[in-house]
Amino acid sequence: MDLQEVETRITRFIDGYVEKAACKGVILGLSGGIDSCTVAALSAKAVGGSKVLGLMLPESETYNIEDIRHAQAIVKKFKLKSQLCDITSTLKSFYESIPAFEPSEKVPKGNIKARTRMIYLYYYANRLDLLVCGSSDKSETMMGYFTKWGDVAADISPIMDLYKTQVRRLARCIGISEEIIKKPPSPALWPGQLAETELGVGYETLDLILYGLEHFMTVKEIAEQLKVGEELVSKIKLKWLSAEHKRRMLLTTKLAYRTVGADFRLKRG
Amino acid sequence: MKQTLRIALAQISCKQGEKAANLRRIEEEVMKAKKLSADLVVFPELSLTGYVVRDQIYELAETIPGPSTGALEDLARKTRMHIVFGMPELSEKTQATIYNTAVLMGPKGFIGKYRKMHLPTHSVFEEKRYFRPGYQVAAFNTELGKIGLIICYDLFFPEISRLTRLAGSQLIICISASPGVRRAFFETLTSARAIENTAFLAYVNLVGVEDGLQFWGGSRLIGPQGKVLVRAKYDEEDLVTCDLAYADIRAVETFVPTLKDLRPELFDELKKSAEQL
Repeated sequence: MDLQEVETRITRFIDGYVEKAACKGVILGLSGGIDSCTVAALSAKAVGGSKVLGLMLPESETYNIEDIRHAQAIVKKFKLKSQLCDITSTLKSFYESIPAFEPSEKVPKGNIKARTRMIYLYYYANRLDLLVCGSSDKSETMMGYFTKWGDVAADISPIMDLYKTQVRRLARCIGISEEIIKKPPSPALWPGQLAETELGVGYETLDLILYGLEHFMTVKEIAEQLKVGEELVSKIKLKWLSAEHKRRMLLTTKLAYRTVGADFRLKRG
Repeated sequence: MKQTLRIALAQISCKQGEKAANLRRIEEEVMKAKKLSADLVVFPELSLTGYVVRDQIYELAETIPGPSTGALEDLARKTRMHIVFGMPELSEKTQATIYNTAVLMGPKGFIGKYRKMHLPTHSVFEEKRYFRPGYQVAAFNTELGKIGLIICYDLFFPEISRLTRLAGSQLIICISASPGVRRAFFETLTSARAIENTAFLAYVNLVGVEDGLQFWGGSRLIGPQGKVLVRAKYDEEDLVTCDLAYADIRAVETFVPTLKDLRPELFDELKKSAEQL
């Protein structure tokens, strides 16, 4: 992969979309992780740091000073605008106002966090006429490792066609620090959550398996080439296939002549 | 050749992408049809895999002969039944060229196959993205008479069933995966194709919901006079049987002699006009 060309294509994509949408710039959730830092840097390169707002959205349970420090370093290096909003009290209000709320169930509770971050991002986007720029990468998107209507909600997702290992190489190329690149990824939905632990495989292996699936290789071929068990490849394949409902939204049942989400094939506005 | 036969229309829903489960389902229905003394049992289009499998088609497609046709050949031999079903057929000469194929098995094994000629690629359909069209009509001599095979959207093109009939088929089998919004078209066209060709037409549609598409069922056997002789339920799995006697065609052929009155010179005109559309 020619990283220089990838950078050019992504920055041209962001710049072109902002211009076409006639918006004033982009906003993104800046967690301090590799994906959001990379998208922040690419956005700054595309439209200029003054047109990029990095929103830092920490909360008490997953608060990590290192992440804030990394996010601030990116703001400084790429001359972005930034805003810090502590969402702890909002989350607390959610938890207290839901009669069925169960604090011990990590996933539903964690998803509230991802969706709350989305609400803040879209509030700022609406208020300041900005586009929401998503930071989802291809590995997590293929695996369905994201919150529906949460972290994946965005107007554009510039690095969604790059596997995590490719994002790491691109990040290095555009000047993201090694400290950020080497930090273990986490969606920060609960304390101590680590992406690779939850996915059950390291990104180096995962990405090669996903690459094989992308290229229509069979489970057996992938397992043989990578010298991994067929069960692991099958498990990943199943996760990939069963998460399609999270990637293709607006499903209805066909009742009429042309149907939203099915056979209206219109250009994006 | 048998002059009368009992046909079973096996209107099933399929598990998307799960060949083993669908094969089991097919086997169950064949056994039920056998108990009902059917000679022939017909399943919907792509009944081996389900209709909406999108990119998974590349891993699901099989050559003919292949493992799934092998299993169904064994079933046809064991039950001494004729079976028609649909599957994505992988060309033996390539690795990713696929046809939307109807397969006919009999008590002696594989009889023949038909590769769908008209592949809908509009509205919710994306068949040309995945399938190569077939180039030949299909009419096979069997113990049950000459049987022609067509698939779903082919019904909208009278020339396909016409050619199948002109090749000698007195029973045209149309396997289908038609979503509910198109029901009125199919209910009209199945009768029209039977009438204009003075042939029996067995139409077997899928049921169930696949990615929001609701297949409407309504499978039927139409007589050569256009009458619906038996109809399966709408929107639910069903298995119906009906007896047909080829001798019934004679009376219709004399009453509305469409084949006798064919005007071959018009087909040259049709070709020229179609090329200039």
